[in-house]
Amino acid sequence: MFRSLLVPRVAVRSAFKQQSSLPTVVAPSAIARLSKRSYATEAEQDDLVVIGGGVAGYVAAIKAGQDGMKVTCIEKRGTLGGTCLNVGCIPSKALLNNSHLYHTILHDTKARGIEVGDVKLNLGTMMKAKETAVSGLTKGIEFLFKKNNVKYVKGTASFANEREVKVNLADGGEQTVSGKNFIIATGSEATPFPGLEIDEKRIITSTGAIALEKVPESMVVIGGGIIGLEMASVWSRLGSKVTIVEFLGQIGGPGMDAEIAKASQKILKKQGMEFKVNTKVMGGDVSGDKVKLQLESAKGGKEETVRHNHSGESQCNKCTDENMQIDAEVVLVAIGRRPYTAGLGLENIGLETDDKGRLVIDQEYRTKIPHIRVIGDCTFGPMLAHKAEEEAVAAIEYIQKGHGHVNYGAIPSVMYTHPEVAWVGQNEQEVKASGVKYKIGSFPFSANSRAKTNQDSDGLVKMIADAETDRILGVHIVGPGAGEMIAEATLAIEYGASSEDIGRTSHAHPTLSEAFKEAAMATYGKAIHY
Amino acid sequence: MASFAKACHLSARLTTRQLRQDAAARGFRTSAASMAAQNFTMPALSPTMTEGNIASWKVKEGDSFSAGDVLLEIETDKASMDVEAQDDGVMAKITKADGSKGIPVGTQIGVIAEVGDDLGSLEMPSEADAAPSSKKETSSQKLSEPKAEAPAKSSKSASSTKSSKPAKKQTKPLLPSVQALIHQKGLEQSDIDKMSPSGPNNRLLKGDVLAYLGSISDSYPSELSSKIAKLSHLDLSNIKLAAPAPKPAKKAEAVPGPAVEKDLEVAIPISMAQVIEVQQRIQKTLGVFMPLSTFIARATDVANDELPRSKTYKPSSDDLFNQVLGLNKVPSAGGARGNFLPQITALPGTAPTKGTKSAAKSADIIDILSGTTRRKVPTYSAKPGISASVNVFSVKVPKGDEKRAQVFLDRVKTVLEGEPGRLVL
Repeated sequence: MFRSLLVPRVAVRSAFKQQSSLPTVVAPSAIARLSKRSYATEAEQDDLVVIGGGVAGYVAAIKAGQDGMKVTCIEKRGTLGGTCLNVGCIPSKALLNNSHLYHTILHDTKARGIEVGDVKLNLGTMMKAKETAVSGLTKGIEFLFKKNNVKYVKGTASFANEREVKVNLADGGEQTVSGKNFIIATGSEATPFPGLEIDEKRIITSTGAIALEKVPESMVVIGGGIIGLEMASVWSRLGSKVTIVEFLGQIGGPGMDAEIAKASQKILKKQGMEFKVNTKVMGGDVSGDKVKLQLESAKGGKEETVRHNHSGESQCNKCTDENMQIDAEVVLVAIGRRPYTAGLGLENIGLETDDKGRLVIDQEYRTKIPHIRVIGDCTFGPMLAHKAEEEAVAAIEYIQKGHGHVNYGAIPSVMYTHPEVAWVGQNEQEVKASGVKYKIGSFPFSANSRAKTNQDSDGLVKMIADAETDRILGVHIVGPGAGEMIAEATLAIEYGASSEDIGRTSHAHPTLSEAFKEAAMATYGKAIHY
Repeated sequence: MASFAKACHLSARLTTRQLRQDAAARGFRTSAASMAAQNFTMPALSPTMTEGNIASWKVKEGDSFSAGDVLLEIETDKASMDVEAQDDGVMAKITKADGSKGIPVGTQIGVIAEVGDDLGSLEMPSEADAAPSSKKETSSQKLSEPKAEAPAKSSKSASSTKSSKPAKKQTKPLLPSVQALIHQKGLEQSDIDKMSPSGPNNRLLKGDVLAYLGSISDSYPSELSSKIAKLSHLDLSNIKLAAPAPKPAKKAEAVPGPAVEKDLEVAIPISMAQVIEVQQRIQKTLGVFMPLSTFIARATDVANDELPRSKTYKPSSDDLFNQVLGLNKVPSAGGARGNFLPQITALPGTAPTKGTKSAAKSADIIDILSGTTRRKVPTYSAKPGISASVNVFSVKVPKGDEKRAQVFLDRVKTVLEGEPGRLVL
């Protein structure tokens, strides 16, 4: 009886290469778990205190809770999810999607054989739909906290010393939370524009741009980066006359491939947005009915002297030799974001920031006080929610297991305009600067069958590969569904694939992803359909 | 005993899982028949097992078996167990016969081959390969390492091989581009094993095959890999630390001058008669003496609630954020709560004033240093300055806050003159 109970299915091949896998695999982790358990009961303090309930903070808290750590998350706002869920990625995507539908019905469906009568915009309902999405998601996080035994403290945290934070509770009173480890994940805030005071009504940041009460007649967006262009898209589709003023020579920020930036600017311009690149905003005047901005050419400093009148016809392109002034009902300041660490009591524990306000860390996210780590927007790297999420998991793994990993070379970026713009890896400027010889393959969506049938064929896929090894260095897409398609490129880069690997992989027909495959084929050989 | 049984079950399961991976890895090789036979070593049947005895073999040399067949029975000090085959195969050789005792885990006990292998021509692995190994050597990463570094291709110079990574046997499916090249160029399995992989986790990339074929420089793929690897880390070089914040004292010096001049004083006479009456009534009925300061403190507290916003008030970015989210209805936000503390002066002749007014008028040095200009006049004199009848309650406020202060004082007056009893009962 004993024998029959104990007969395990041990097999011959156990002997092949690995003789004592069990002791090595099982024993150390079991010991680690045991020691951890006794460690946790020694003191009252938490294993981990997370400051900030945004994407970085809440993911870290949940991951730690799942791993059995005693964890507290401190958030000063009334809701979890931080900028991303409350006033960033999520609400803006709700508005982008619905404003796109509205715009399509208004301008596009007729050509598709669908005639719609009176199309009316109910901005209130559109905003409500956005709020429903947001509140559903933020409450979801609160549920996940409960499920994973994360203690949630509502209040503003400030370091008292290296092991304790004082929390000024939102409901009044004060509480001290002490922990063995800390994660600072306080995020970022919109960088204000010197000389223009934000009131979120007329001078707004992205926060105000998702909550305007009516569609402004005219809007100027300072900064042609991703946030600026997404918000510009929303309000332009809903009927605003939108002008984008960008200091640099290209839109999309420095990460975007120059060729893709030019292509997307052309497409967005067709949709009715106006662009002023290489243009500086010198100052503004809010005293009147409309906000007046003084502009100047960023190149050479020659003052442009055009009086630009928004109520009349657009004449910006013709007028270049006068003092340039622009009027707008609403001005959106979207010149970037900066780390937010105010009130954290960094001075009490001697933590340093760099000249841009980022908390100084090492490769394992440790500050010079090793049990205090920093992740997300308030430290180095691109300010992206998915980067923060990766870091959160890696930071917990460093605490728990001593090893974590984020591949910063394979973090995709997406701009959710229509068409979307997405990229991963290096852009052509960067590859050129690095001195690597490269090949480029591109494929336009106008040659893709699915894009044609969808009557939505603006854009292209551009692939950059090493000239000798064919290894993919970067992929840049502007086109319908680019944000989803970039996942394949990210996977390819993560695995070190060559363009031929993609070209030899079957892609369903007819899909937009065939354009991706054909761009790969064009990189190492020739595309079939172009 | 039960726990041991459980441990055995667990370990057996783990072993099996590992075996499946090995088997899968083996399946990907393109030319299984040419492979050398494999050592079959004493398996570890529990995490604590270090050695075992062979009770009896259930197969003979040359026998073929299929997955699930019992191959042999092993005894440990605690139990005896059957060892089953995971895959089909042939028992090529048995090196430790029935009844062998105290064989350390990992020691070779036999040799197995794949079905269809010609046992006569098979290259038998040496006993040394399967010597009991330390934990380090058997970490799963090294599983697939060939027994010796593959000899460099003869056509290559010794220096060029040094610059690229050592060859590694591929255990994962080959990339489509690699497979295509291998078939086009007629390369063998043995060639693949000699290539130096430069991809993540030692994956063989197209570039590595090209380098092996000599169509690109031998070291180029690994150079490119190290360039790409650099990008996979945060660039933390050249961090410019922020200059230390300027000393707060300097800032404070600049602030008070103009700020103090702008301050206005708002005053209102309030009679304490009603309060004193209540005070006496309480003392009579309850026998408790409530000091006047208690009444005034509570009246102040009540009056500070939800005052109209100052004209100079500017919402912070937090306020704006909450406004956008519709969270500003939460009373705890405390946006409009005041911080006023009235300064009380008895009207001349009714009580000793003791010059409290002039003392309080000079600004508090702590306020100036901390820059809190709006929290004016936190010093208020208690009883000495209070008379039984009419007192002047005053607050000093920056310009623009007069209305706020007026509302505050009106409320204090209403509460103290109206029904002060409610403040304490």
